Amino acid sequence: MIDDRPRGAPGEPAVPAAGGDEPAGRRRGVSEQHRPLWLLAPGGLLMTVVIGIPLLLAVYIALVDLDQYTLRRWLQAPFIGVQNFVEAFQSGLLHSIWISVSFAVIATAATAPVGIAAAIVTQNAYRGRAWVRAAFLIPYVLPSFVVASVWRTMLQPDGIVNALLAKMGVTGGLWLSGPKAYWTLILVEIWAAWPFVYLMALAGLQSVDNEVHEAAAIDGASWWPKLRRVILPHLRGPVLLACLLGTLNHINNFTLPYVLFGVPAPDNVNVMPMMVYVTSFQSLRFGLSAAMAIVSLLLIAIPLFVYLRALRLDVHEEGGRR
Amino acid sequence: MTASASAAQVRKADRRVGRRTAAGEAHRLLPRPLLVIITVFLCALVVVPLAYILLASLNSDVGVAGGEFWPSTFSGASYARIWTTADLSTGLVNSLIVCASVAVASAALGTVTAYVLVRYTFVGRVTILRALVGLQSIPGTLMLLPVFVLFSSAGNYLGITVIGTRWGLFIAYLTFALPFSTWVMVTYLRGLPRELEEAGRVDGASTLVVLFRIIVPLSLPAIVVSGIFAFLLGWNDVLFASVLTQPETRTAAVALQVFGTTQEAGALPVYSQMMAAALVCAAPVVLLYLVFQRYLVGGLTAGGVK
Repeated sequence: MIDDRPRGAPGEPAVPAAGGDEPAGRRRGVSEQHRPLWLLAPGGLLMTVVIGIPLLLAVYIALVDLDQYTLRRWLQAPFIGVQNFVEAFQSGLLHSIWISVSFAVIATAATAPVGIAAAIVTQNAYRGRAWVRAAFLIPYVLPSFVVASVWRTMLQPDGIVNALLAKMGVTGGLWLSGPKAYWTLILVEIWAAWPFVYLMALAGLQSVDNEVHEAAAIDGASWWPKLRRVILPHLRGPVLLACLLGTLNHINNFTLPYVLFGVPAPDNVNVMPMMVYVTSFQSLRFGLSAAMAIVSLLLIAIPLFVYLRALRLDVHEEGGRR
Repeated sequence: MTASASAAQVRKADRRVGRRTAAGEAHRLLPRPLLVIITVFLCALVVVPLAYILLASLNSDVGVAGGEFWPSTFSGASYARIWTTADLSTGLVNSLIVCASVAVASAALGTVTAYVLVRYTFVGRVTILRALVGLQSIPGTLMLLPVFVLFSSAGNYLGITVIGTRWGLFIAYLTFALPFSTWVMVTYLRGLPRELEEAGRVDGASTLVVLFRIIVPLSLPAIVVSGIFAFLLGWNDVLFASVLTQPETRTAAVALQVFGTTQEAGALPVYSQMMAAALVCAAPVVLLYLVFQRYLVGGLTAGGVK
């Protein structure tokens, strides 16, 4: 029963928001009188305690001057208003935002074509395709900390990457510090993240009707016009969704820069999660760090808002198509 | 000749997947040479680093440091030595205990919560659903700080040690595992026909009976998947574990970092052991994916969060 679900995956994330309005309309009656809302209590209470309270507390911390000296009695920490935010912007937060955003955008832009290409080449059945598909998933399946650890090892100055480059007559130099660190971060992120676009694009390809392929064949369309005019438009929705979610994940990625470069990170890979982490757990400036974290939340809220809206839009589109 | 051979192959392949031959031809998206080139390139992109990791883990630390791709001598010595270089076994056990508990708790609570969210309407329901999606995108760094402050004040004000215990990690992991598991269950349960439980209702069964006798057995695969995702979220975490654990309670992810900084006598980095330990840490995850592949892939695209 459940294995029908993955097939329809691109539309799938849409459905939940739609369902938001659905049961009311379709089938009231059954047990509208006594809704067992108390069943929400265990999960709801726990979520309030472990998520709601910390989130509110984060906002409070951002407004007080909390450091290692005041931590023991943080309730008495002096209230300083927006001063933490002011200091955050003065201490290079904008630079950090720029690194995070450019990193996320470049990584997304690079993973999209690779993922689409991978989906297209595995669309037609051939012997051994199952193996290829399994291989394509591996970078995504591997835990981030494993990916980062092994690339960190391979990219050491005396590591295998430089050894192979040297055989080709190229001097690799430093990958994990200096100017190249930024591109190292992007390349490793691309290596780990493209299968997500691939998965979404694959789901989109599978939703292309047989008739579409047949019509294109009857028209005698050669592969490139068919791909560009017929197939790729079908992939737009799922791939855009993948890009949106991918961007969110890139911006939030802490593990990769942390394990690749260690703390403190080189300045050119000081992405926002790293900066927040270092400010709180190396410099022990908790208030300042909470202010930075909240700014990063606001930044994330932009693509997130688009996503939540898209969920809804997608639903109507789906509904219309069926 | 080659064309007809390849056509025959396609035909065979199509028969195997149960499609009509003509449809198979029509479905073709790329000319064969291009298809081969892209496939080979992408496979190489994935397989070459993986092959190196495996080869390096079977090499000696000296060999890896010398820049060998193909080991001059194969040995499993690195796999034997990782357990003493760092306390990897404690890490693996801690990860297993914490993540398994998180998986069970999130899957159980997520199922019940999702059932109510899907089946009943009430004020604030859509908001909760949206919040479930939104919560998955909250940066971990934002959650960690207040959790850390709360935990440390539990120590200061109440005299309960939370930081450094597995309990602390368990609670911290619930902050992201719970919304995710609930979300996975919401996407599944809404696809479950209502008629299935109406039969039970007509017989006068209470909500709890319907839930545990009808819904839970029917959605067992999804419940397992939501649990596995919760497990993986915990297993893959470095952020919370790096702050909230101490040497006895640290997870595999933190223990692995030790190999990056450890050196043997003579300042020889332990790269081979690093690769072996990385593979050991990845093994449970890869195993879970292989076993539950068809279910998990759907969940990946539905939730959109790793």
